[in-house]
Amino acid sequence: MKAKPRILIVEDEKPLCLLYREELEKEGYEVTTVLDAASALQALEKTPFDLVVTDIRLPGANGLDFIKKVMEFRKDVPVIINSAYESYKQDFASWAADDYVIKSGSLDELKKKIRILLEKRHVAA
Amino acid sequence: MSQLRKDPISGRWVIIAGERSKRPDDFRKAPEACSSEGSGFCPFCEGSEAKTPPEVFALRPGPTPADSPGWQVRVVPNKFPALSRGGPVPRNGEDLFVWMDGRGVHEVVIETPDHGREMADLPVDGLRDVLWTYRERIRSIERERQYRYIQVFKNKGREAGASLSHPHTQIVATPIVPKRVKEEIYGAERLFDRYGECVFCRTIRLEVERTERVVLRGYRFCVLAPYASRFPFEMRVHPVRHSARFADLQDEDLLPLAETMKSVLLRLKNALSDPPYNFLIHQAPNARMTLNGGRPVSIDRSFHWHIEIIPVLTKVAGFEWGTGFYINPVSPEVAAETLSREHSSGE
Repeated sequence: MKAKPRILIVEDEKPLCLLYREELEKEGYEVTTVLDAASALQALEKTPFDLVVTDIRLPGANGLDFIKKVMEFRKDVPVIINSAYESYKQDFASWAADDYVIKSGSLDELKKKIRILLEKRHVAA
Repeated sequence: MSQLRKDPISGRWVIIAGERSKRPDDFRKAPEACSSEGSGFCPFCEGSEAKTPPEVFALRPGPTPADSPGWQVRVVPNKFPALSRGGPVPRNGEDLFVWMDGRGVHEVVIETPDHGREMADLPVDGLRDVLWTYRERIRSIERERQYRYIQVFKNKGREAGASLSHPHTQIVATPIVPKRVKEEIYGAERLFDRYGECVFCRTIRLEVERTERVVLRGYRFCVLAPYASRFPFEMRVHPVRHSARFADLQDEDLLPLAETMKSVLLRLKNALSDPPYNFLIHQAPNARMTLNGGRPVSIDRSFHWHIEIIPVLTKVAGFEWGTGFYINPVSPEVAAETLSREHSSGE
């Protein structure tokens, strides 16, 4: 049986974690959620995730620094910034990410961008 | 999509980047280092080409493929642009509220693959290649007639607005001629009418005679501390030969301009302990303009391109915002004397 693509969600709001997990599992992904950058780095060391979705404002860490750390040891893994704030687009450090989604009530755009990036990596649900 | 909105009273256009762009604590951050400092990853470094959008231009000495290592200067579109390319941009209006879609071009010129080599530290040939790249990108964007002004600018250091320390310049093309540019064009035209010659050519002649505000005088380029400098150690680099457009810069002028820029940036670095700075190219717009009454502005004879270099040493505060007056604690005469005596070695 084909393995499900593994997605790591880094999001400090628990209700949103639950929402992302539910919606993305319906799409056929295996979803892990963590609440902060330190836990995300630990999870990445243990599991070969196919994609990371991260907020920028995380407890005790700047999400952009977190993405750069991811790039240092998992340069191949695509990262999507999922933020409520468009202002980070002006920060060239955001370019470490592969895509940028403004948070909204609908997850359609996030799902679409996950699908496109996984297809680029030849990993589809 | 972003919007361009016009302030009905001042006539100034503002790019509104997003509906939920910033929240209050974004404005309360302490000064911090550029994001890539102390980190192993930078999207502008050689080897990270996959992390940028496909290059629109690159200077490659060898036969290396696009978007791979082996480049000297690389130009990429902004990954998350404030203005995005598109067709013609109609103005929309409802009573006082005038706006346009945020159409335009936003590119990044990565000046060198070497993360730690600032513009002042580039070899002169490398700096010439960067200037050549500016000229070629301006020429290319100007062929898309819907963009009326092209601003080339560099922010060096976090306080000057840079978010990454890897040396880079930005090119933004807008569908309107910005208000500040219009003011400069109209001011130059009025003075052309009064003196019968380009005011910049006249300024260069008078300043070179007086010498007290001359930072550097070369055969083809001249660097002055402007008479009414707004900021400490502000400088302007002028071509001595009259020309309204950076895009018309001749090949034989590129190396002298690179030598001039390197010299003044090194002087700034040595005199002021490597300050943050902005530089911007002022050039003629890619559009016809008219004065009140409909007379066309003779931009090509009355305007003269130049590069403005502004070290970020002071902050614009309440009085300046309220009145438009700037308080400059260092006279341009002192600035010119300091910088002209400063050595420009840095190799």
